[in-house]
Amino acid sequence: MQKSVFKYLIIVVSFALATISCTKDVDFNQANDILLTPVFESDLVYINVPANKFLVEGHEVLNLKDSVNIDFFQDEFIVDYLVKAEFMLETTNTINRAFTVQVDMFDAFNQLQHTFSFSSGASPNNGEVVTQHIEVFEGNSLVALKNTTKLVFTLTIQPGEPINESTPGRIILKSKGTFYLNIDSLL
Amino acid sequence: MKSTCLFFMLISFLSWSQNKQILYGFSEIPQSLLMNPGGKVTNDWYFGIPLLSHIHVNAGTSGTTVYDLFANDGLDFNLKLGKAIYSMQANDFFTVNEQLELFSGGFAIGSSYNKDQYISFGMYQELDFIGYFPKDYAILAYEGNQSNINRVFDASDFSARGELISVLHVGYNKKVNDNFTMGVRGKIYSGIMDINSTKNRGSFVTVNGTNNFYDHIFNLDLQVRTSGLSAVTDDNVSSDKVVSDIKKGLFLGGSLGLGFDVGFTYQLNKQWMVDGSLQDVGFIGHSKDVENYGVKGNYVFEGVNPIFPETGSGQTAEEYWDEIENEFEDLFEVDTTNTKYTTWRPIKLNASLNYAFGKKRDKECNCLPDDDGYQNAVGLQVFTINRPKQPQMALTAYFFRRIFKGLQAKATYTIDSYSFSNIGFGLSANIGSMNFYIMADNFLEYQNIYNAQSVSLQLGFNYIFKKNED
Repeated sequence: MQKSVFKYLIIVVSFALATISCTKDVDFNQANDILLTPVFESDLVYINVPANKFLVEGHEVLNLKDSVNIDFFQDEFIVDYLVKAEFMLETTNTINRAFTVQVDMFDAFNQLQHTFSFSSGASPNNGEVVTQHIEVFEGNSLVALKNTTKLVFTLTIQPGEPINESTPGRIILKSKGTFYLNIDSLL
Repeated sequence: MKSTCLFFMLISFLSWSQNKQILYGFSEIPQSLLMNPGGKVTNDWYFGIPLLSHIHVNAGTSGTTVYDLFANDGLDFNLKLGKAIYSMQANDFFTVNEQLELFSGGFAIGSSYNKDQYISFGMYQELDFIGYFPKDYAILAYEGNQSNINRVFDASDFSARGELISVLHVGYNKKVNDNFTMGVRGKIYSGIMDINSTKNRGSFVTVNGTNNFYDHIFNLDLQVRTSGLSAVTDDNVSSDKVVSDIKKGLFLGGSLGLGFDVGFTYQLNKQWMVDGSLQDVGFIGHSKDVENYGVKGNYVFEGVNPIFPETGSGQTAEEYWDEIENEFEDLFEVDTTNTKYTTWRPIKLNASLNYAFGKKRDKECNCLPDDDGYQNAVGLQVFTINRPKQPQMALTAYFFRRIFKGLQAKATYTIDSYSFSNIGFGLSANIGSMNFYIMADNFLEYQNIYNAQSVSLQLGFNYIFKKNED
């Protein structure tokens, strides 16, 4: 008698567990549809030079040039997921001379991949002349960006009122990059 | 980054707790002594059927359920993912607890006419994991920092620990007098694997800067400690070696620790009873195969400042840039150490107040009713477990019934971090000397197990011998 009750009990319990623990329709393949679209912003370069920086041994130089080696854009994560980028450059000029900012982007073999430039007007009364430039990297220019390992910045002073040790004003450059990512896989 | 995303997803799936509210106080089942070494003993001796005497799995999430995320409802998965990320808080957690008894037994000792003491012993394996939802990391990965200027991302949001241990234990239970029983259980822990990262500090924030558009401020103090992990992570290790390492760890070959449980039962009068216990007051000293990883440092990044040539001789910003790279490398450089460390076991506190009623009317026998003479009991139980961020609590109301000889049932209603509608049910049946028990909770959720905030299941077989079978 007791044995049959026990058997009966086991059957009832397992049957109950098997039937009541049902599930509704789920689809784990949805994980493959994942798309994260974060947008990151990062500072790039900044420059803050007084007018007399353009004097070398008493003589005016027209070009200030410098380069930055960077392997960030070749990172596998960036190569895979970066779909768009924007460089925003902003200059504030208080020198009574116009100037041009040129950015040249080179790959590992020193081949020019992309270049862009913009100009700022002079500041006759040393008030702030603010100029903004946004360079968008999409399509071919995005490919160029992902090849880039070196950035060369050139600041070229346009002709005008000569600069001496006491020439007032300065050039300020701020820049940031906006990086649009589409992360569509987890592995 | 990719592996971080994967980790978020993984812990969302593995959403599991460790309250055994149905087993607690169920004195007909010998394993209830593991929850309260000072519980009532109702047998003279028993042994658990090896590997089958106690199987326990318990899983819970205080946040989004598997169903919320993966229901085949035609809704955009990424919208559901976003909703999950925004609706969960940094204190939401996922836990898994699993126990498997390898062997167990117990026997009464004392004078032959009054066996008022009881020795129980055994060995079980336990897997315990808790991971908190790393909210700020998830937001940063989901949105980026552009829309979060001035938002401080808290590095302490990442908090998780997991351990695989075996426990060898011996318990002593003494019925001091008719009303008071107390007990203590000594435990030797053998840590097979441990990974924990519960003391992360620091933050990342992007604020408007002076020299450039922004200041990116990194202030990080992150640490992950592991022991016994290289047995499975090392590529060169064969699976045979892994199995043998785990076997060795199981039988006291791992990082050793000590602990104890203590508990009591006090009969206030014939019908009212209180009991309480503390479980797992103990530590494990991790000394074997320890690898710790740390990232620590402060850095403010405001971009690269090319030093234009002083003399036009072609001097570049290289040096400056190298310096920045070094700063970043220093900041994110992972320090690997092998320093031994100690972890505390999650302490559990149980307490209950019980009222028994409804005497069995036995027409044939006119024997003296013992304290098992009541057929029903109701009561309130409290369970608390110490967790890395804050203790978790559960409150249970129950109804216990002896259905007939050798068959007892207990139904519970539990309020906890997971839900306010947790109904549990357990049965213990004795056929001769064989005892079988099974218990599960969250019955209301079984219509759709994927939508359950937590599920818990225990079952086991014992061979129980009672001199005075009632």
